[in-house]
Amino acid sequence: MTPTLHTLAPTPDPDAVLAALGEVLDPELALDILSLGLVYAVQIAGEAVAVEMTLTTPGCPLHGSIAAAVEGRLARVEGVDAVTVTVVWDPPWTPAAMSDAARHALGFS
Amino acid sequence: MIPQAAGPGDPPTALPLAALLLGTLALAAGASALALHPALLASAAPTPAFLALTHVVTLLYVALLFAGTLQQLLPVLLVTRLAWPRLGSFALPALVAGSAAVVGGFALGFEPHLLAVGGTLVTLALAATALQALRTLAGASRRDAAARGLVTATAYLALTVALGFLLAATPHLPALARALGYPVSLHLTVGLYGAFLLGIAAAGQRLLAMFALAKETRAYRLRILTGLVHAAVVAELLTALARLPLHGAATGLLAAAGALQLWEVAALLRVRIRRRLEPPVQRYLLAHAFLPLAGALVLAGRPGGAGIALLLGFVVLAASGMQAKIASFLTWQTRYAARGAGGGAPLLRDMLLPGFEPLTTFGLAAGAAAAALAASLRSEPFAAVAGVLLAIGAWAQLVQTVAILFGRHGAHAGRTAAPLAPKEQA
Repeated sequence: MTPTLHTLAPTPDPDAVLAALGEVLDPELALDILSLGLVYAVQIAGEAVAVEMTLTTPGCPLHGSIAAAVEGRLARVEGVDAVTVTVVWDPPWTPAAMSDAARHALGFS
Repeated sequence: MIPQAAGPGDPPTALPLAALLLGTLALAAGASALALHPALLASAAPTPAFLALTHVVTLLYVALLFAGTLQQLLPVLLVTRLAWPRLGSFALPALVAGSAAVVGGFALGFEPHLLAVGGTLVTLALAATALQALRTLAGASRRDAAARGLVTATAYLALTVALGFLLAATPHLPALARALGYPVSLHLTVGLYGAFLLGIAAAGQRLLAMFALAKETRAYRLRILTGLVHAAVVAELLTALARLPLHGAATGLLAAAGALQLWEVAALLRVRIRRRLEPPVQRYLLAHAFLPLAGALVLAGRPGGAGIALLLGFVVLAASGMQAKIASFLTWQTRYAARGAGGGAPLLRDMLLPGFEPLTTFGLAAGAAAAALAASLRSEPFAAVAGVLLAIGAWAQLVQTVAILFGRHGAHAGRTAAPLAPKEQA
C-alpha cells in the first residue's frame, strides 16, 4: 500500500515577503514603499500575510492602486495564500520614516 | 481611444481626460489665432474678436479643465465619493457646446442667438457642476479649507458665467442695462479671483503639498484669502449696483489675496521634503511670478495688461502645470494600475516627453509676459511675438497631453532605494 503523502503548505519566508514589498513602487516618487517608510507592520500567520501601511498624504489619488499592488505582489510569494492590506492614517507618515537612500534620492538630507 | 477605467459608482476617468485634451486643443487654437492676428491684443478697446479669444482661454481651456478634473479631484481632496457621478457625462458636453457657441457668438460680432444658446448651456452646465460639488462636500467628513475653497471656486465659476450672460444681454435689454449698468469689473473679479485664484489656491495647497512632499501648512492663510476674495466681490457688487466708490478697495483686497497666495506657496516650499521638483510643478510655481507683475501693472495704470498677466501668466501657466501632473496620474490609474506599482508599470515621470516640458514652460511664460506688455503698450509687434510664443507653448502642451494619454510608456524595473525594515514584524 502506498502511503498518502500530505504536504503542508510552506510558511512564507519573511525575507521573501519583505523583498516583495520592496518591489512595490510609489509611481510618483519612484521609490519603493519600504524605503519610504510606508509599511508600519507585517504579520505572517501561517499562509496569511497582513500588512499595515500608510501613504505620504491622506487622500492620495494612488491609495487604491498601491494597496492593490501590495496585495498582488504578495500573492505571488511562495507560500502566501491570503493577503490583507490595511491603510491607516494614524500615526501619520513622517519623513523620519524614510531610509537614508530614499532621502538622498529625493534630494533631502 | 481615451483611457477609461473606474469602479462601479465612480465617475468615468475618460471625462476628465477628454476635458484635458479638448481644453489643450482649444488653447493651442486660441494661441495660433493670436499669432495670426496679433492686432487683437493691441487694440485700444476690446473688440468682439478679442472677447472671442479671451473666452477660448477662460471657458474652453480653464473652465473645462477645472470642471473636468473636478470629477476626480474633488472626491480625492474630500476623501469621499463624488455625488451624482454620471452628471459630468451631461454637464461637460454641454459646457463644451455652450462655450463654443459663446465664442462663435462673440467672433460673429455679438450674434445674439449664439450668445443666448451658449450662455444658457454654459450657465446650466456650471451651475449643475457647482451643485454637484456642494452635494459632495455635504457628504464628506473631511471639510478643510482647501476642500471648501475648491467648492467655493466652483460656485464662483457658475456665478461668473451667469454674470457674463447678463453682460451679453444688456445691449438687447434696456431695462436690464438700467438696473445693472455694465458691471465688467464684477464679472472679471468673480471670474479671475473668485473662480481662478481661489480654485488654484485651494487645489494647489493640497496638490503642491502632494507633489513636493510638503506637510500641509496651517489653513489660516487660505481662509483669510477666501475671506478677502468674498469681500472684494461684495465691494464690486456694491460698486455695480449701489454705485458706491469701492472699486479701489476691491483692488486692494485682491492684491492682499494675491500676496497671501505667494506667502502660502513659499511656506509650502520651505517645508517640502522633495527638493528636486518636476518640470510641471516648476511651471506651476513660475505662474506665481505673474501675481506681482499684475500688481505692478495695476499700479502703473495698465489694468488691461494686468488682466492679461493674471489670465495668461498666472492662471494658464498654473493650470498647464497641474494639467500635466493630473493627466499622468489619471492615465496611470486607468492604464497601468492593474499591473501593480512596479510590476511592469511606468513611473509617472516616464510618461512625459522630457523635451516638451521646457518648451511648454518657456512658450507659455514668455508669451504671457509679452502679451501683458503688448496689452499695456498697445504694441502690435509685442503682440505678434506673444502669439508665436504662446502658440509654441500651447502646441508643446498638446503634444505632451497626447503622449501622456496615448503614448507607449516603458515599464520601470527594479527598486530604487535600499529598504528599511518595517517597524514591527510578527
